[in-house]
Amino acid sequence: MAEKKQMKIAWRILDLIVGGLFIYAGILKIIDPIQFARDIDNYKIVPWSLGVRFAFYLPWLEIFCGLALVFRRLYQGGLSILAALTAIFITASLIAKTRGIDISCGCFGHVSKNFSFSWHIALDFAIFAALIALWFGVKYEPGAGHQS
Amino acid sequence: MIARALRQAALLVVLAFVPAIGEAIYFRDKVPWQTRLTSDETVDVDLARSWGEGALWVDARPDHEFEANHIPGAVPLNEDRWNELLPQFLAQWSPEKKIVVYCSAASCNLAEDVARRLRNEAKLPNDIRVLQGGWEEWQKKSR
Repeated sequence: MAEKKQMKIAWRILDLIVGGLFIYAGILKIIDPIQFARDIDNYKIVPWSLGVRFAFYLPWLEIFCGLALVFRRLYQGGLSILAALTAIFITASLIAKTRGIDISCGCFGHVSKNFSFSWHIALDFAIFAALIALWFGVKYEPGAGHQS
Repeated sequence: MIARALRQAALLVVLAFVPAIGEAIYFRDKVPWQTRLTSDETVDVDLARSWGEGALWVDARPDHEFEANHIPGAVPLNEDRWNELLPQFLAQWSPEKKIVVYCSAASCNLAEDVARRLRNEAKLPNDIRVLQGGWEEWQKKSR
């Protein structure tokens, strides 16, 4: 019983860390949407006119999904979106790298500008793994994550 | 579980539109919606021509395109041969001149990349602009 409670606390802490991370990243992008639009454009995957629209939309989606994890409301939806966004970002980064594009994702503002490509990818895989772990953690935890 | 996740995801996707649209309306006059450059980083053909001798034209296209034709008086400076061409460019450069960089058309990014390198790497203090519509627009206006 005590072990079950400890596991629940551990999952909750992971929720807060991952959710908080996405809320933080979203706020940084909302503050400077033009810079984020440039970061998206650097991947050379979508035209500027579309990328700039994504730059206004994606940070809010990140924040709403982050809040879903923190408050455990619309939880599974939030997890699914964040996992999909992270997977898309990892794929886009790898494609950009193979095309020889030197990208700076700017995901976490100026702090991440100094990250190497390897650090970016390692961090993204860690976040993706945490999201997948949360998904299965909730799946096998009776009664959890059922709120909507 | 998957059906519920999809329903919740759809709701979050829709909810995020509300503040995003609000933010876009707030920033509507500050954002370059069609190109990644702001209005003070570009110049149209007519204005650039009016600068006359006060402008130094820089051709950021590949060598073969420059050799085929270019704006009269333009200096070639592309990223492929940056180190070789930069000294030639600097020989014609002066601090009071406006620098107008162009590439093939509105869709190319070469001019923007060269303009950024002139600002950030060469640390030039000049007013450096990218020509709107590039060589294609110049040709249209010259007919």
